[in-house]
Amino acid sequence: MKRYLPLILVAYFIGCLLLILVLARQWQDTGQAPEQPIAFSHPIHAGNLGLECTYCHQTVARSPQATVPPVSLCMECHKNAAIDRPEVQKLRGFWERQEPIHWQRVYQLPWHAVFNHKRHIKAGVDCSFCHGELKAQARVRQVRSLMMGWCVSCHRSRNAPTDCWTCHK
Amino acid sequence: MQRREFLKLMGIVSGGAVLSSCGEDPHKKLISHVVPREGEVPGMAALYPSTCTECGAGCGIWVRVRERNPFKLEGMPGHPINDGALCIRGQASLSRLLHPDRITAPRRRTNTGDYQDVSWEQAMADVEQALSESGGRQVYLAGRTTGSLAALIDEFCRTRSFDRAPEVERFNHEAIRFAGDALFGRKSVPQYHLAEADVLVSLGADLLETFVSPVNFARQFAAALEKEQRWYHLEPHFSLTGNRASRRLVIRPDSEPYLLAWLLRAVPARRDLPAAVAAAVPAVTAEAAARQTGLPVTVIEELRDALRASSNPLLLAGGVALAGNNGRLTAVLAALLQWSLDMVGRTVDYERHENYETVGGAADFAGLVDALSDKQIGVLLISRLYHLDHVPSLRDALCGARFRVGLTDFMYPPYDGCDVILPLSHSLESWDDVEPRHGVISLIKPVFRPLHDTLSEGDILLQMMNNGLNYRTYLARRWGTIGRELLDQGWVIRDTEETTPTLQAGAPPPVITIQEPPADKTLVVVPSLRTFDGRSRVLTLLHEIPDPIATITYGNWVTLSVADADTLGITDGQELDIRTSGAGLRLPVKTHPQLAAGRVMVHTDQLDGLALPRDASSGEPLGILPIDSWQATGTRIDVPILSGSFTGAVGRGILPHDKPHHGPAHGGDDHATEHPPATLYPPKEYSRYRWALAIDLDRCIGCSACVAACYIENNVAIVGPDEHRIGREMAWLRIEPHLSRDGRMFFIPVMCQHCENAPCEAVCPVYATYHGSEGLNQQVYNRCVGTRYCANNCPYKVRRFNWFDHEWPSPLNLMLNPDVSVRPKGVMEKCTFCIQRIRQGKDHAKDQGRQVKDGEFTTACAQSCPTGAITFGNLLDRSSRIYALAQSPRAYRLLEGIGTEPAVYYLSKKRENA
Repeated sequence: MKRYLPLILVAYFIGCLLLILVLARQWQDTGQAPEQPIAFSHPIHAGNLGLECTYCHQTVARSPQATVPPVSLCMECHKNAAIDRPEVQKLRGFWERQEPIHWQRVYQLPWHAVFNHKRHIKAGVDCSFCHGELKAQARVRQVRSLMMGWCVSCHRSRNAPTDCWTCHK
Repeated sequence: MQRREFLKLMGIVSGGAVLSSCGEDPHKKLISHVVPREGEVPGMAALYPSTCTECGAGCGIWVRVRERNPFKLEGMPGHPINDGALCIRGQASLSRLLHPDRITAPRRRTNTGDYQDVSWEQAMADVEQALSESGGRQVYLAGRTTGSLAALIDEFCRTRSFDRAPEVERFNHEAIRFAGDALFGRKSVPQYHLAEADVLVSLGADLLETFVSPVNFARQFAAALEKEQRWYHLEPHFSLTGNRASRRLVIRPDSEPYLLAWLLRAVPARRDLPAAVAAAVPAVTAEAAARQTGLPVTVIEELRDALRASSNPLLLAGGVALAGNNGRLTAVLAALLQWSLDMVGRTVDYERHENYETVGGAADFAGLVDALSDKQIGVLLISRLYHLDHVPSLRDALCGARFRVGLTDFMYPPYDGCDVILPLSHSLESWDDVEPRHGVISLIKPVFRPLHDTLSEGDILLQMMNNGLNYRTYLARRWGTIGRELLDQGWVIRDTEETTPTLQAGAPPPVITIQEPPADKTLVVVPSLRTFDGRSRVLTLLHEIPDPIATITYGNWVTLSVADADTLGITDGQELDIRTSGAGLRLPVKTHPQLAAGRVMVHTDQLDGLALPRDASSGEPLGILPIDSWQATGTRIDVPILSGSFTGAVGRGILPHDKPHHGPAHGGDDHATEHPPATLYPPKEYSRYRWALAIDLDRCIGCSACVAACYIENNVAIVGPDEHRIGREMAWLRIEPHLSRDGRMFFIPVMCQHCENAPCEAVCPVYATYHGSEGLNQQVYNRCVGTRYCANNCPYKVRRFNWFDHEWPSPLNLMLNPDVSVRPKGVMEKCTFCIQRIRQGKDHAKDQGRQVKDGEFTTACAQSCPTGAITFGNLLDRSSRIYALAQSPRAYRLLEGIGTEPAVYYLSKKRENA
């Protein structure tokens, strides 16, 4: 028994490591890049078609919230465009039922923090700085930790306010 | 237990805790609009104009809406009634819309007496069937109604052959309307121009609390302060109004006619009274008037001289002055004085009178009561009634109708036993208008799709009239040309065809015999600042905020004078048994130092349906009742009382000019000069902003509107009576009543003082409380570990600890301010100077590349204040109002001697007698 002890220990640790990796992968899939009610493709809209971010996220430069577009905006194009695709048909289903789309939130802040998109856009922070290269994300996933340390490091380097109540509510 | 076992157990427990915390759905949803609403930007509050309907005053409001949820009501600046302010009840009325106990669907009474929800079609079919089958007369009985709805009800009554009963209102100002009718042929309540008078004499009317249009009067009071108006207020009890007058005169209850009759002869008339009328006024000598009213002769002579010297006086009587047996007489004499001193047409305005003509007095319901008792009524439709305790005969006769239909939002007592209940939408869910004052039309506009299966009263009536209109189109037709202005502005003032009346020469002089006022102990029944006539009792927030006079939050009580409490040998909370003619009352007492001996004060809504004796001439319930006997029952009731009020603070540096002194052993010198403030910390420097607040105690009337605004703006939790009894209320802002050494009453709003040298900051072991770069004392909730050291070290006692996670029962959670967090248990919280508003203000200024301008935004408390007592601003801006106020010789800060250097400046009163 004693001879196998190191082997058992090594196997145990490798097992643990694998478990962690599997769990992490799982978490990545379900947590950081959740499945959406419609498999909307940023690579097609922002990449191939070259739409500006603000074409859909219209209030990003004038409101704290970037906001998801209203169904009516999607329908401006998808009245005619690509109406044979199954995902577009899902969208048209929402429109016909006059039903809002419940997207899964990817980037979320804790309850005690506020974030103002407008201020960051006006300060010249590019969308991709926090959200990554959306053109390459078939399914949107969280690319930044959104931890306080990450926020503060950038605020410090850019000489932005670091008063507690700038972000804490 | 062995150590190993303990560790194992701990391992299992902590593992379980970790697992159980994973269960929550980690993802919130981002919900798209289907079609965006025009002008609405997600993440930004939109403002919609509407009108408050919590009482009949008709204050204009802006409804703050975020993501289609209304979360705060604010007074509409420029509105002819309230000009930007909103009272405590108005602030709280948002929780009426979202109240969990609202009726959610039409109901029908089953054979067993229970109610079952039915569809609108079914409910309306039931009503129609009853209308065709029941036979007999059909009657429409509603609360006070003005504007388009009043017209529609008339139309409805004509087409569906209903008789319209007089409107029900607990405080119907019957005596004022009787006097107006008898002398001027106008059965209405005039509008009083307080601000224009140079001498104001008010008898009994609680102008700053509930009388007709209290926010309007409070704004006028603030305007009058600027011009050094002399204001005498005569009252038998103690009210916030009396406290704010330049001179409060305590008068024997119901003795006003002696004073007025004397004044009528003593002050030279500016307009002649017809001989018949003049002769009917009883001859009262100064001595008799003084003896009867309990005022010294010199004081009533001062009143006479002030009125004589005044160029534009206003004398008015209302409230408790008209609640005794002499009520009608007092009103008639007051109206005669108004005529003879040329106030009618100047400070007493019958052209733009308050709309009370359709309101019934108790006597007007006699016919309906008879018809109900004789079973002549087939269908009785009742709408917007809260209680009928003031007309008990009607209350008891209601069940005489064969079929009762109730239109309401809550199951108030008059709706018990209704055959069908039709739920009404809240005013924030419906189109309508009101006309509280003649020619002043105020818009009611929906900001919220009906939360439940409800309809507005207008829509219900139009459905029953079956003419294919909905109320929105009906209103548009009625508004016609004023519609555009009404929708844009929120209110319209129409031309009036009414004229200023003259004293009717042929008017028979009313019977003028003064009845003997109660000699000894008196019970004074008054409306409540918090719940008015009881209609606002359903709003829990109003119970959470202390009554500013008694400082009690939950429960019922009577207020007793300190002298009487000593005689009776009872203290706060002990029960008193009071017997009056025909009525008994058992309630815990709260003593008040300003209440005169022999007076017991109780709120109308705390009588719990007790039948009051009635006035012989008008039939109205009396508010002045002689007490036959009183005695302590020996029972003690645990009432939640705000601690430390009244006399607890004298000599501590809370009141102006009340700095602590050393005792005579030290030569009695000033504590502050002996020990100049010193600090170990370097002075703090601010670059752009140093936020501060100034509170003018000259203007503060103690109305508590700011407290309600703070609660709603900052998601402050409602904790209930049990927590209140053990001192765990969560209010960030409280009104502390204090009595100074010279017997003056101060209402001091106390919130976090955002001290320069904050004692709380130094003791926090985790830096959860922190001095910000703009002078704010910042509490970081998620960093707080709940040691409560800060609260213990705070000399102002403004920090509140969350002992529990507090709940907002659905759908009340919809009114949570999305910009403010809901604090979890174990966390300390306190006033933030409305950091969310500061953040938004700075954000807006930054967009335009400038600093925040003075007055650009303000805190929730300052916004709601009817008298403009609270000013918020940046101390570094030398041109700001706050800077000027902080430099004022009247400015002082709380507990200055301890060197905390607060950022809240209080301004002491300037009037010598105030």
